[in-house]
Amino acid sequence: MTLSLGLQLAIAGISVGSIYALVALAIVIPFKSSGVLNFGQGEIVTLGAYLALILTQLALPYPMVIAGVVLLGAAGGVVIERVLIRPIVKAPEFTLVIATFAIGLLIKGVISIRFGDSPNTIDGPFGTEPIVAAGLRFNPTSLWIFVCTALVTIGVILFLHSTRLGKAMRAVSVNPDAARLMGIRVETVYRWSWAISTAIGALAGLLVAPLIGINPEIGQLILRGLLAAVIGGFTSIPGAIVGGLAVGLIETFSGVLIGSTFKNLVPFILLMALLVFRPQGLFGAGEIKRV
Amino acid sequence: MRSHRRMILALLAVLLLAAAASTLGSYPVYLMSLAMINVIAAIGLNLLTGNSGQISLCHSSFIAMGAYGSTLLTARYGVPFWAAIPLGALLAALMGALLGAPASRLRGIYLALATLGFLQIVQIAIEEFADVTGGVRGLIVPKAALGGVRMSEYARFLIVLGCCMLAIWTARNLLLSRVGRELNAVRLSPHAAQALGVSVHRVKLAAFALSAAYAGVAGGLQAIVVGFIDPVEFGVSAALRQITFIVVGGMGSVGGSVIGAAVLSALPEALRPVKEYSDVIYTLLLLGFLIFLPHGLVTFWQVIARRLRRYSPTAAAEARP
Repeated sequence: MTLSLGLQLAIAGISVGSIYALVALAIVIPFKSSGVLNFGQGEIVTLGAYLALILTQLALPYPMVIAGVVLLGAAGGVVIERVLIRPIVKAPEFTLVIATFAIGLLIKGVISIRFGDSPNTIDGPFGTEPIVAAGLRFNPTSLWIFVCTALVTIGVILFLHSTRLGKAMRAVSVNPDAARLMGIRVETVYRWSWAISTAIGALAGLLVAPLIGINPEIGQLILRGLLAAVIGGFTSIPGAIVGGLAVGLIETFSGVLIGSTFKNLVPFILLMALLVFRPQGLFGAGEIKRV
Repeated sequence: MRSHRRMILALLAVLLLAAAASTLGSYPVYLMSLAMINVIAAIGLNLLTGNSGQISLCHSSFIAMGAYGSTLLTARYGVPFWAAIPLGALLAALMGALLGAPASRLRGIYLALATLGFLQIVQIAIEEFADVTGGVRGLIVPKAALGGVRMSEYARFLIVLGCCMLAIWTARNLLLSRVGRELNAVRLSPHAAQALGVSVHRVKLAAFALSAAYAGVAGGLQAIVVGFIDPVEFGVSAALRQITFIVVGGMGSVGGSVIGAAVLSALPEALRPVKEYSDVIYTLLLLGFLIFLPHGLVTFWQVIARRLRRYSPTAAAEARP
């Protein structure tokens, strides 16, 4: 493999990896604060893509589309948390896994009824003309995705470390009972963690739509996002980002190195191996649940 | 004496079902066969999830193994279906044990993730090894024959009925035996079970193999009844459908598996006028049960009775000292 091919692949890997990183981030945030792993997060991404489609068809300018998708995504998260998650947040883990899964299928089902299975597309903000620099070709959309992921990550880290609500969120993730005794409204923290998570998920849908098109199956992305979260150790924000980029790179390079037949198997074999040998991930030091 | 009477009642019910089916057309008989196949699969999943307390998002993969295993044995090596189905189930059970060995050490979301990963691996394997499995285009199942005579829809129904009764009977007895008590003990308190000398890891592994075996039988029967298999039938949504059976019916109870699978198998037919909404209705039902009736339909009357007692004036008066 030549150096320029390698670099070209690395760029492609990082750009899809950025999407996986966003999905992983959206999975990790509510898990950190409330211990609920949202298996329906993939369909939040689908929802974001369709919201972007609707807003674009209304001929809104791109910044307005972004704002609309993020706000509506956050509102969706607040509704889901209040109506479906809060009644069962103390239920056994099985209930939460299946319920979040079902929420995803519900969103997918409604989208399929409303829009059918036919694919749609929207354009990225900077067109499709590749940028050529130093003999390498960049897809402007890929670059834009990477920039957005970086901004979101920095935003989330700043939020968690320097705002009152962010600090409350971290306190709740360490010990919800102690946090409650200190006067933190745990329910408010849960609600905001869901709002932030679904806003990020919806944004990921908006960003990925120009690359892969809009159809009800976008939610499949969650499998890569989950793998990224597992690599990152499930509770680590930087871990989720590194995990996402790693999954993107592994996927792109394995396609070239071992052929497309087994390319799709690699992430799942990696997932199983990690869960068996290192369930705390490569970054997390979190508790290991072994019997 | 009591169990004898129940046995006779059950036999009578089965004979009645078989007699009723003989008067029906082939489509309703086909639907009844499918419903009973769902019952077999649900019984297997319920032993794993309801009794031993392990989440599985890959039950449909074991159904796939039974279906593909038995179909390939018949199509390639001419093994008759009555031998191919048990062999397919054996294959599924072995794969269940293979997955169970590492997976039974995981809990909660980690187990959910591992089984989800396993489902994807099986799914991709079926799609990629198209020379053997037919890939995404699927595989036509050879018509099941007995003594050189092709079986009718009703004959296939009788075989499914027999297998279903066998599944109910074995699962019931299993749960009443030492194995069943161990499964429940492992769910309710793994530490206490361990302290009492139950090998938690071994029991959990056995639960995986056992549930996969039921799934394998269901898969083999599904192949001969439907006559066609493709990977779409065995994906995540199928796995979630089987989970819905046991959640709606009742976790950890054979009766729950039967009721849940039977009721929900009839649902698509009932929802035929609003077909495009059936997925959404199905999912809403699952969510509704998880939130409002988490122990399933088998506890429906208890819950209603409790509610009524709470509101009836006589009960309130009795409750007062």
